[in-house]
Amino acid sequence: MKLALRKMLHNLSALTDLGAEISSTHNFEEVMRASLHTLLGSLAIPRGAIAQFSARPRMLKIMAARGLPGAIGGHILLGREEVKRLALHGRPLEVAAEQNGLSHFVQRNGDILKRMRAHTFVPMVVHGGLEGVIFLSEKFTKEPFTEDDTELINTISRHIGMAFYNHRLLASLRRKAEENRKLYQDMRQMYQDTIKAFGAAIDLKDTYTKGHSDRVARYSEAIAREMGITGTDLEYIEVAGYLHDIGKIVVDRSIINNPRPLTDREFQELNRHVTTGYEILSNINHPWKEIAYMTKCHHEKVDGTGYPQGLRGDEIPLGSKIVTLADSFDAMMTDRPYRSRLPLDRALSDMHRNAGKQFASEVVAAFCRLLLKEINGTSRDRVFIPVIGLKFDREAISSTLTSMIEELD
Amino acid sequence: MSTVDVRTRIVNSVAVIYPGPYLNQLRGECLEGRCRELLAGGIRGVVINFEETELINSIGISILLGVIETVNESSGSLVLSNLSATNRELFEMLGLLVHVRIEETEEIALGKLSARSEVAAR
Repeated sequence: MKLALRKMLHNLSALTDLGAEISSTHNFEEVMRASLHTLLGSLAIPRGAIAQFSARPRMLKIMAARGLPGAIGGHILLGREEVKRLALHGRPLEVAAEQNGLSHFVQRNGDILKRMRAHTFVPMVVHGGLEGVIFLSEKFTKEPFTEDDTELINTISRHIGMAFYNHRLLASLRRKAEENRKLYQDMRQMYQDTIKAFGAAIDLKDTYTKGHSDRVARYSEAIAREMGITGTDLEYIEVAGYLHDIGKIVVDRSIINNPRPLTDREFQELNRHVTTGYEILSNINHPWKEIAYMTKCHHEKVDGTGYPQGLRGDEIPLGSKIVTLADSFDAMMTDRPYRSRLPLDRALSDMHRNAGKQFASEVVAAFCRLLLKEINGTSRDRVFIPVIGLKFDREAISSTLTSMIEELD
Repeated sequence: MSTVDVRTRIVNSVAVIYPGPYLNQLRGECLEGRCRELLAGGIRGVVINFEETELINSIGISILLGVIETVNESSGSLVLSNLSATNRELFEMLGLLVHVRIEETEEIALGKLSARSEVAAR
């Protein structure tokens, strides 16, 4: 085989190895080390180093070195003018040459260049910007670099320079993505806090229902989770729990806190809170649309006797069915202006009686499963225990829940 | 963590290293590490037997240059043996033949290095 052809094949092979290395998923220092090896090995150069340019402070940081113990991590400080000159060249330069306009740089860094036995340095320039510099010693044979050698050095340096550029770009994108992620997290937290604040504001209108919205949200979220609901659907249901009574903001406080049975007019006024809530929430953009409708339907009943639309069965969103049960359970378990809280067995009996009428059976079943797990201690969560307390017949309640689950599941 | 290893044997205080079928970065670094260990252990004669080596890439060459320099800096002697025609052409193309001792077979290489040790011992 002719020497020229052999050389060409050897160079092609080196470029292939370099391409594979640069596009690999190895860490960047490893990629640079292999790239330097490829360049040195392709021309039998025993020593060399690859240095990355940093603009602040202006310097070259040695990232990979061969035949130069202790060189990695070393710095070469650069002047503003030197950066410009290096960026202008972008091709191999002999350290000893006077005409490249970098004699000051060579003089100032004489010691380190001597230690590196640098004979040639190659500024790596991408889109007019300096990415780094490659330092090379003489060839092992001490022969001068030929024109072909210089071309190969140029080609490999361009590839390595591009790898630096892409690496920097990727690092910058990663930084930005992380900033956006944090921003999103902050906004999300703010959104959640705002919703909780709304819930607390609603509850302030009613002296008896302090913490009601917060509890309904927690119960709704737990029941939905028990039913296998995840992700944004789960989140929406929790938010609907917080905001289900938002329409009460416009209902007269005297009606809400009235200890006597309400008149028809007062009932009409109170019942308006679901449509008012819907009007408030539906004016807010994504992700509130589904939530608005969920709150509107939280007084619908599966047998069609609820309000405001008299929807039945599957016409009612599942989230609303869950909030309905959570709302009713909390109402039964807390004192109201018109009655004291109900004992747990009575509340369960009420739910049992109304499963398939007021409440969706599958939601009642999920609630019973969850409550049974808490009572039995098979669940670490304490969603219902804080409100039901510990003064109940554990055995009897467990038995009731078990039979309800068997019947409704 | 390296998943390959290079085979080594010691014959009359001379180490013979077998780089395996492909001298790339992984095997090259393994070879270099083994060579440093041997030199640190007092070995001064090293034969690298390329009989099984079908391919040496640029990274392998770069590492090999480092090995040659390391042996020289330790006042040791290095001989390459059993080079295939392709690998010999590669060394020739890079101008290394005049800078590195190459012998046809491991036995010849061992013979040359053993003779040298004996002369040095006298």
